[in-house]
Amino acid sequence: MTVVLILMALFGLLLLRVPVAFALGGLGLGLLLAGGFSPLMAPQAVFSTLDGFILLAVPLFLLMSNVLLKGGVGADLFAAVQAWVGHWPGGLAVATILSCAIFAAISGSSVATAATIGTVAIPEMISRGYRKDFVYGLLAAGGTLGILIPPSIPMIVYGFITEESVIALFLAGIGPGLLLTALFVAFAMVHARFLGGQEKMPAATWPERLRASRRALPSLALAALVIWGIYSGAFTPTEAAAIGFAAAIVITGFILRTLTWRAFREAAMEAMLTTVAILLIIAGAKIFGKAITLYRIPQEISAFISQTIETGAVFIIVVAVVLLIMGLVFEALSMVLIMTPVLLPAAMGLGFDPIWFGIFMVVMVECALITPPVGLNLYVIQAVARARMGEVARGVLPFLVLMLLTAAALFFVPDIALYIPFKL
Amino acid sequence: MSFVPATLFALLTRVCAGIGAALFVAAGAMLTYEVVARYFFTAPTIWAAELSQLCLIWGTLLSMAYVLAHGRHIAVDAVAGRLPYAVRRVTETLALGVVAVFSGFVVWYGSKIFWDSFERGRTTGSMLDLPSWLAELPVPVGFAVLGIQAVLSMRNAWAGRFLTAGHGEGEA
Repeated sequence: MTVVLILMALFGLLLLRVPVAFALGGLGLGLLLAGGFSPLMAPQAVFSTLDGFILLAVPLFLLMSNVLLKGGVGADLFAAVQAWVGHWPGGLAVATILSCAIFAAISGSSVATAATIGTVAIPEMISRGYRKDFVYGLLAAGGTLGILIPPSIPMIVYGFITEESVIALFLAGIGPGLLLTALFVAFAMVHARFLGGQEKMPAATWPERLRASRRALPSLALAALVIWGIYSGAFTPTEAAAIGFAAAIVITGFILRTLTWRAFREAAMEAMLTTVAILLIIAGAKIFGKAITLYRIPQEISAFISQTIETGAVFIIVVAVVLLIMGLVFEALSMVLIMTPVLLPAAMGLGFDPIWFGIFMVVMVECALITPPVGLNLYVIQAVARARMGEVARGVLPFLVLMLLTAAALFFVPDIALYIPFKL
Repeated sequence: MSFVPATLFALLTRVCAGIGAALFVAAGAMLTYEVVARYFFTAPTIWAAELSQLCLIWGTLLSMAYVLAHGRHIAVDAVAGRLPYAVRRVTETLALGVVAVFSGFVVWYGSKIFWDSFERGRTTGSMLDLPSWLAELPVPVGFAVLGIQAVLSMRNAWAGRFLTAGHGEGEA
């Protein structure tokens, strides 16, 4: 009963449009006071959230990707990939997906990935005769690679609240990220072969390819450096983010010479705005998490689940459905923060690996974000392309099916995620 | 409340946000230096990790009010955005009221924590052994500024000037 009341209060506050951070924090504080627990836990939770070294990676990764964005790296990347694969069947579509995958390795956010690549790719593809709905779906889906391929802000957050290794999570995201990339590329080629009406692009000449690649090379090297550094243990994710930020300044400021002082200041302010919004939600979720744990709610839900749900498969389907529904109103981070403390104990009780569960959550959360009629990534594409929601929604469906298939594959073959961190 | 204090306050939050952004950049510089010092000079620092963490704490808490004023705290717009004006005016004011009340509580209890550490001269016990209150003070300070901002925004919301929808650009 308490569970239902608390959830109703939470959703009530959220629908009132109390910012997620303060809805969680405020309700958490209210519960602490009502239950006779020390309200000092509220400021302590704020403090201890910000005192986490791993969360320092959030502003630094955001600084890195914002500096690269302002330096126009998105267009360079797309041009380079296009020079290599543009003449394939559906070449521009393939180039778009590959650019998203590469950009995902320098950005921790699906919204940023979809917006960056979308800005260049959408007009280009439409002018070459690709069907609009296909283009929009492609971008909305391509953006989801942003948080699956490391670095990934939701994974940092998941690692922080569950005290699991962020490095392991990052590495576990690579397999499913590559699988999805391959599926998207294959679908784009099949679509172009049978349904496309696009003009065929001539193959770029070798000098053109080399020229385009030379401009994209520094960013590619940066992506490789960040992933290599984390993988080899040369630096922590937070340090990797700092190095990435410094390298982004060097690349855009001194090598490409595209970053102005003004653009740098804008990038810093933009990173600050997003960081503060993200970190406060985490702090709010921490207060809320503390309070509901003192009310023994995760324990009760976990017990309820283990009594009523007997197999892992059923549990996973329930989780998937719950996340898809939540995706109607929430963005990725809030979903991860609200659901993880509630679901993870039950998942572990059923024998799921916490790293695997984190990756599964990220995939499902991403599905939720592109599931029509409502989803954050749909809005982004709609805004970038000035498109109608109907077109975006129609285009996204085949990609959504591919993502759900990936989620299913992840369930049947957990090694898609776990092989790289634990068995390689 | 007269017009001038509100403008001054907007200036204050802007300056705080600028400092916040600069602190994040500084944290990046410190940690880059740390890695370079460790690998190229085999001389890791004792200060980089701790000071960069302080940058994160101060930077975030100082910037909260600015983020609220610019409607960039992530919120659920699915319902509130579609309400008729008269209803929305009430819900928006109430929503900001929640932020104000929450801030008030955090200022009160956060000050207690700060004051306790300050009075007892508690230190972090780390390499730098900084006073603990250095990291605890920004909690009441930041939430005090946020609380004032929330009250000012309540006044605006009541007058029909809503914070714009928070589909932040870069969030996950």
